[in-house]
Amino acid sequence: MSENIVVLMIGISTLLGAIGLMALIWAVKTGQFDDHSKFTDAVRHDNEDDLQDAAMMQAKKKAYKEKMKQERLEKERNYRPAD
Amino acid sequence: MAEVACTHCNLTFSEEIMITEKENDKTLSFCCKGCQGVYHLLNAEGLDTFYDKLGETTLHPASPQSDDLEKFDLEGFQNKYIRIDEDGLHEINLIIEGIHCSACVWLNEKVLHKTDGIMEASINYSTNKAKIIWDPNVLKLSRIIETIRSIGYNAYPYDPKLQEERATKTRRTYYTRILVAVFGSMNIMWLAVAHYAGYFSGIQQSFKDILNVAEFVLATPVLFYSGWIFFKGAYYGYKNHIVNMDTLVASGALSAYIYSIYAMLTQRGEVYFDSVVMIITFVLVGKYLEVLSKKHAVDTLDSLMGSTPTEVTTVKEGVKSLVSIENVIVGDVIELKPGEKVVIDGDITWGEGSFDESSLTGENEPVYKKQSDNILSGSLCLDSVIHYQATKDVSNSMLTSIVNLLEDSLSKKPRLEQLANTISGYFSTIILIIALLTFIGWYFWVESFEQALIVGISVIVIACPCALGLATPMATLVGISIAAKRGILFKEAALLETMAKSDVLALDKTGTITEGKPSVVKSDIKENFDPSLLHALVSTSNHPISKSIVTYLEEEYENLETLTLENIKSIEAKGLHANYKGQALIGGNEKLLQASNISVDANTENTLFFFAVDNLLIAKFELTDTIRKGAKEAIKNIQDLGIKVVMLTGDHEQSAKKVAAQVGITEVHAKLLPGDKAAIIEQFHEEGHVVVMAGDGINDTVALASSDIAIAMGNGADIAISVSDVVLLDEKPASIYESYKLSQRTYAAVKENLSFSLLYNVVAVPLAVMGFVTPLVAALSMSLSSLVVVGNSLRIKRLKFKNKE
Repeated sequence: MSENIVVLMIGISTLLGAIGLMALIWAVKTGQFDDHSKFTDAVRHDNEDDLQDAAMMQAKKKAYKEKMKQERLEKERNYRPAD
Repeated sequence: MAEVACTHCNLTFSEEIMITEKENDKTLSFCCKGCQGVYHLLNAEGLDTFYDKLGETTLHPASPQSDDLEKFDLEGFQNKYIRIDEDGLHEINLIIEGIHCSACVWLNEKVLHKTDGIMEASINYSTNKAKIIWDPNVLKLSRIIETIRSIGYNAYPYDPKLQEERATKTRRTYYTRILVAVFGSMNIMWLAVAHYAGYFSGIQQSFKDILNVAEFVLATPVLFYSGWIFFKGAYYGYKNHIVNMDTLVASGALSAYIYSIYAMLTQRGEVYFDSVVMIITFVLVGKYLEVLSKKHAVDTLDSLMGSTPTEVTTVKEGVKSLVSIENVIVGDVIELKPGEKVVIDGDITWGEGSFDESSLTGENEPVYKKQSDNILSGSLCLDSVIHYQATKDVSNSMLTSIVNLLEDSLSKKPRLEQLANTISGYFSTIILIIALLTFIGWYFWVESFEQALIVGISVIVIACPCALGLATPMATLVGISIAAKRGILFKEAALLETMAKSDVLALDKTGTITEGKPSVVKSDIKENFDPSLLHALVSTSNHPISKSIVTYLEEEYENLETLTLENIKSIEAKGLHANYKGQALIGGNEKLLQASNISVDANTENTLFFFAVDNLLIAKFELTDTIRKGAKEAIKNIQDLGIKVVMLTGDHEQSAKKVAAQVGITEVHAKLLPGDKAAIIEQFHEEGHVVVMAGDGINDTVALASSDIAIAMGNGADIAISVSDVVLLDEKPASIYESYKLSQRTYAAVKENLSFSLLYNVVAVPLAVMGFVTPLVAALSMSLSSLVVVGNSLRIKRLKFKNKE
């Protein structure tokens, strides 16, 4: 076995492992692991209804952001400093 | 009488009292209007799949909530609990009551999602804490709370900044570091397999180099990212001239690392990267376990705290308005309703009534106050509407000044140094000295710098702080989880050790040894006694004595009918009066009956309650504060453990001595003000004792803060709970005994673990000094010692408690 193969093997496996680690760290940072029961129980609540629900919430958030942006634009347009 | 389950809450009741409905050939039964209402609401919203998810779990019946929704919209409230983020949205953290299972969480989330204006509603399944983000232009907070209540749950806010946020952040940082450390160790281990194989059967230098470099690449982030905690701790120790375990871990890991880099570059000797990461990983896991137990305690406590009143009703020229307490100035007239807690000191201007000052003084006898009497913040208004004028503003009121006093004394709280820290202090110094001597010795003997360095480093590496680092956390974690299962909440792991060292227990009388509520001990019933009549009479009052008569009647008699009385009047400090079908009913103390010209025998040290119909004495009850069940045995058991038990109380001598005699306490200090209790504890400190104090009221809090360990009853004052180190969730005196036993057993396990790790070092260090230690030996011994420590700690689980009630 030449050295290059060994380097390649070690390198790639560690890299793949590191990607998994990064994903895990990201999950911890966004708080997905704070709740042990939700992690296991949420599987039960994963049907079409809940997906609709989640989609609706996302749509709501987007609509709100749009509204805010519009309001800010309006304000800037209507801004007339006092004479 | 068949038992039928309510369609909503699944609790079973007898068939006759259920409300029935027919819906498309299905018969629905409800236990109350609340459940019925919620059921129809859920159906209307299309959320009836809730019942499928609920299955067999039982809920609380949905009860209509009190009408205090406006307080959620007050400015003071908003400033305290609501956060505004950059989009202008409001965010709040709530604790939701009444959640029994994941179906309830699902329901709450669904209902909140459907509400207009709510941008995000996420509820944590395990802690019942909810985070809600909403648009304040569309929705008010009171509406959100109303929505939650309409489906049968209740919500109240808590301040996450107090404890939870800090605990969560610490936990997350640790968790990430542990992930990195574990990843590093596992990968290095499979590389090390190749390394060891090569060590025994020969390996080409070029391959060895590859392995060395790979291990180096993995070890570096582990050492510097995960091990950063130890460097910080070692630096702190260095600045304060303390040698602690962090110093040992940091120096051991760092020197092994530097030496390994040297070995890698000069291609001579062995690398010790695997030992480096293993040290870091093991000790880090130990530290993490400690942090974990703290977070769990904090979660439970947050839900215990409930909410303190933040606003009052003021009366200005006949107009009543809800005002936040910070805005009340001296001279404002405040209206107090029965059942409300007084937040601001003042003098009564209109009305008179009884006040429960037990949280301040510990006496459960209500105190009667009339016009121009001073009422103190912290007391509870029992039975009448009162108008009073504020004499101090909220920051100077008694309640706040007690809280401030507490926060001061908290920082002065004595903390006993942990055994492990003391040992590791000496240990680290000794090892470093031995390593240095070894290095010098070998240098002179072999005259090879390298070899001397190798041997010197191996001494430090093998001294393995792993076992030492795991010794305390493992044992205390097991101890704490066992305690938690038995309803004893230790806020910090280190407290187990302090408690094991204590030799004096100071008990508060009211609420700790006794129930804190009067109960009937003797009843003297003459003829013609109709329990339903008396029951109807006393149910109209909120007075502790009336409530205890109600409990007594419900226990002694079945088939109590509900009767409607007329002309119900409560006469302050005397009793109750009502009419029923032409009969005049009177219930109260001897003063009330003497006023109606009925002569009674009032010669007893207990509290008396008489019941008379049409001026004829029908029944006489004697009430006293009963001793909690199991108090006597618990106190005897504690005394058998060799601990002195004393009673400190604010009550008068006679009742204190009576209770003390009943439970077997000889040393009694009575008629104490809160400051006096603390002074007595200080005295014990000066005599060299370690004091544990158990109490429940605001009057105990100063004393609780000055003792070494403070135990609070779960239902006591919020302040007592936040100041204490241990909270008894089920309020049994036997739990105090159990916590003693548990802490002593855990301490014994800690000592066993520490002595084992020391023993292991006594064997290993000489081997290292003589040069027999190779990387293999080092790694193996490290893992083994850690495993032994863990296994020994798990043995605590076998502790058996006698007389399990």
